[in-house]
Amino acid sequence: MSLLDKEKNEPELFAYDSSTHAVAPEVAVSFFKQSMPFKELSQEVLQELALHCRIDFFPKGTRLFTYNETEITHLHLIQRGGVRAFITGEDGEVALKDYRGAGANIGALGIIRGTRANLNIETIEDTFCFLIPRDIFLDLVRENSAVSHFFLKSFSDNVVATAYHELRSNKLSRRSSDDLYLFNVTARDLSKALFSISASSSIQEAAAIMARRSIGSLLIYADEDPGSMVGIITDTDLRGKVIAEGLDYREPVTSIMSSPLKTVPASALCFDILLKMMSTGIHHLGVELGGSVIGVVTSHDILVQQGNSPYYLFKEIVAQSEFQEIHSLGRKISGIVRNIINEGAKAGNITQMIALLNDQILNRILTLLQDQMGPPPLKYSWLQLGSEGRREQTFKTDQDNAIVYADPADEGEARRAEEYFKLLANRAVNHLVECGYPLCSSETMANNPQWCKPLSSWKAIFRKWISIADSEALLTAGIFFDFRHGFGSEQLAVDLRDFVTSEIKNHSPLPYYLARQCVANRAPLSFFNNFIVEKDGEHKDQLDIKLRGLSPFVDFARVMALRFGIRETNTLERLRLLHINEKISKDLYESTVDAYELQMQLRVIHQLSQIEDGREPDNYIHPEELTDLEKQMLKDAFSVIERLQNVLDNLFPEA
Amino acid sequence: MFDRIRRLPWFKPADERILENRAYFKDFDQTRPLTDYSFVVFDTELTGLNRKKDEIISIGAVRIKNLQIDLGETFHRFIKPEKLDHTEATLVHRITPEQLKDAPPMEQVLPEFLSFVGNSLIVGHYVGLDMSFLHRVTEKHYNGTLMNPCVDTIRMAQGYKRVMFGYYHEGGTTNSRYSLKDLSEEFNLPFFEAHDALEDAMQTAYLFLYLIKKFRKGGLITLRELYQAGRESDWRVLSSG
Repeated sequence: MSLLDKEKNEPELFAYDSSTHAVAPEVAVSFFKQSMPFKELSQEVLQELALHCRIDFFPKGTRLFTYNETEITHLHLIQRGGVRAFITGEDGEVALKDYRGAGANIGALGIIRGTRANLNIETIEDTFCFLIPRDIFLDLVRENSAVSHFFLKSFSDNVVATAYHELRSNKLSRRSSDDLYLFNVTARDLSKALFSISASSSIQEAAAIMARRSIGSLLIYADEDPGSMVGIITDTDLRGKVIAEGLDYREPVTSIMSSPLKTVPASALCFDILLKMMSTGIHHLGVELGGSVIGVVTSHDILVQQGNSPYYLFKEIVAQSEFQEIHSLGRKISGIVRNIINEGAKAGNITQMIALLNDQILNRILTLLQDQMGPPPLKYSWLQLGSEGRREQTFKTDQDNAIVYADPADEGEARRAEEYFKLLANRAVNHLVECGYPLCSSETMANNPQWCKPLSSWKAIFRKWISIADSEALLTAGIFFDFRHGFGSEQLAVDLRDFVTSEIKNHSPLPYYLARQCVANRAPLSFFNNFIVEKDGEHKDQLDIKLRGLSPFVDFARVMALRFGIRETNTLERLRLLHINEKISKDLYESTVDAYELQMQLRVIHQLSQIEDGREPDNYIHPEELTDLEKQMLKDAFSVIERLQNVLDNLFPEA
Repeated sequence: MFDRIRRLPWFKPADERILENRAYFKDFDQTRPLTDYSFVVFDTELTGLNRKKDEIISIGAVRIKNLQIDLGETFHRFIKPEKLDHTEATLVHRITPEQLKDAPPMEQVLPEFLSFVGNSLIVGHYVGLDMSFLHRVTEKHYNGTLMNPCVDTIRMAQGYKRVMFGYYHEGGTTNSRYSLKDLSEEFNLPFFEAHDALEDAMQTAYLFLYLIKKFRKGGLITLRELYQAGRESDWRVLSSG
């Protein structure tokens, strides 16, 4: 039974009248001054409020509220300790909704809506609460806009959007006002007026229009339908395909056009347009609105307005043929992160962009090395492992890579391959170091002979991990099972992935053990100022956001991907595919993505500010770095972890 | 002769408040649930520890009802000692002589405090010391002492630790592990650097609340059980929960 239930009929009869000279105990007033939203109130209001409060203590494991039963007589403001909020389904399954710690309140929603408790609340630590009587609290909400605004806000769905906004605006000082370009400007803004010509026109007619209008590209529409664009020609096409080839100007324009026309939606952000241009190599894109093309956006237009962009760096890397230049460009990549965070990039976007840049560096290094050393004796694929394999790197962390090459036909070829790839890997790893990617302390790198092998050897290694699922396999899963092709012959990486996928399908115990490991990994967390933190050790009262926050999501996505034969390695992409294949619900998918992105974001911003202070970036977040809203959101994110663990628990029940 | 007997304090009839207090606690029912009782947690500031000479110069108290600290019912007074000049040198550093000069004397504060205490049970940290000073002033002003049952949070803490951690080798109350500060830290209670008797009383109230609810979780329901548990060396009832 709840303690509150007992309290309802308590008579308030005491002989002593304290009202005339009561002093509000400092303990309450000073606590209110630190707690949202009470800190917005004046000293007088807080004094008065304190006089109406009581302090209660609930030992660990006390049920405070019971869903749909408890009449909420008091708002509970947690002074010390922590509670969990949960709902028990009809089948007895417990769905965790929230953790709350010091500074958080309980029961506001029920009081404001005049309903019974909408959640079960149970203390998970010894917990002291200030109890504010229901009517006093309602008066506060009615009379004080800061209070009502706070509670309305915390109930609304806009919390997420607001917090992202706060993240951007509070954490980093802007360098200049035009920083916001990448994430504020859409394809529609960039779109140039549309000029087009019918497909039956000649090359000369097209060139004439381009010259008269001073435009670098022209769209081609189908003769019968002026609204339907079939292709595009550019200055480059005229130069390369007509003049250089001596083509007859009277030929139809369709003979030199690029077709079909690649488009982006009018709402696409500048950032997404850049990503598309970088990954496809196409520099002219149609802008589409409501099914028809309304204009063209070009890389040139973006570059003109955006001097120091990722795309600019990308193009420079592509053009380099000197190692020294590549090294210095490689070291510029981290600097890009700041720019695009300032512009409002979500961490998911940032890592995609970084992966493209890293891949391009790798591409240039290996291409130049092959030019030096001569072509490889066998096809090979340079594998990216770990976070680079998942395309989740932000600031540079240790190299994790490997080489898989085609199976040699005979002894001699085997020896030549071994020598060539050993040399190639050695040089590549050193160049990568020069570019700012430090060596891996556990030597998980292609220059380690253990991780530079022909396809058949790799299959044997993976088969062992997959069939035995011993501690080594569980330990290395996070690095090796997230491999992806980085450079060379992609088919080898595809073959290896096929092999891994089918081996696991073959009743491998690996996903089971990985899943149990995830479930067992419930963090020993505590609360500090309404914040989930490490309970002991060197980083007591701080949060290891990588270990506690991000890893559970990454691990979940990996286990599920391995279990359901999803070949993708990127966590967000894995989650998306799991959702599409109906392995996780839409609701869980969306909550998971929100939670994961928020934490990536916090981590990136935390590390960026450390780097700017000249410190080594780490993963330990201090509560004082965060706003109340961010703490709130972090707790939401943590409640998702519990849900993910429940999914795994159900899918891989304990033996 | 008659006059001389009358002047002896034990012969004077006790004040009405004292008589009422005695009557109330004569047949005091200890079998009701703990939530039914009202407690007053109090602390005093003294000019020194000499029970014959030293005086109370401040009283702080908070009320606990329904096992909750009621922040609307607190009591805090400074008291002008009879020998202000003499005490100046020995004053506890957190009260200045200035604060005492204009403070009311004990005969004005005492009735206020007794009315605040009323029929509540009295709680204190090493409560015996505060009570002995309180008894002295009630004897003096009202010819009698309060009968309210007292609860000592040090003894509660000793009992609690004995059961929870198996400390059978009790070192007595002077053991530093039992200071208010140490216990608050040990049990991870909200802690504030106390500035006055009220804040000490508040800190003691937190400790009391913590201990009594920990006991209650162990199955201890009535006041009588609390007292019995305090007396017995084997506080088994606590560990059953």
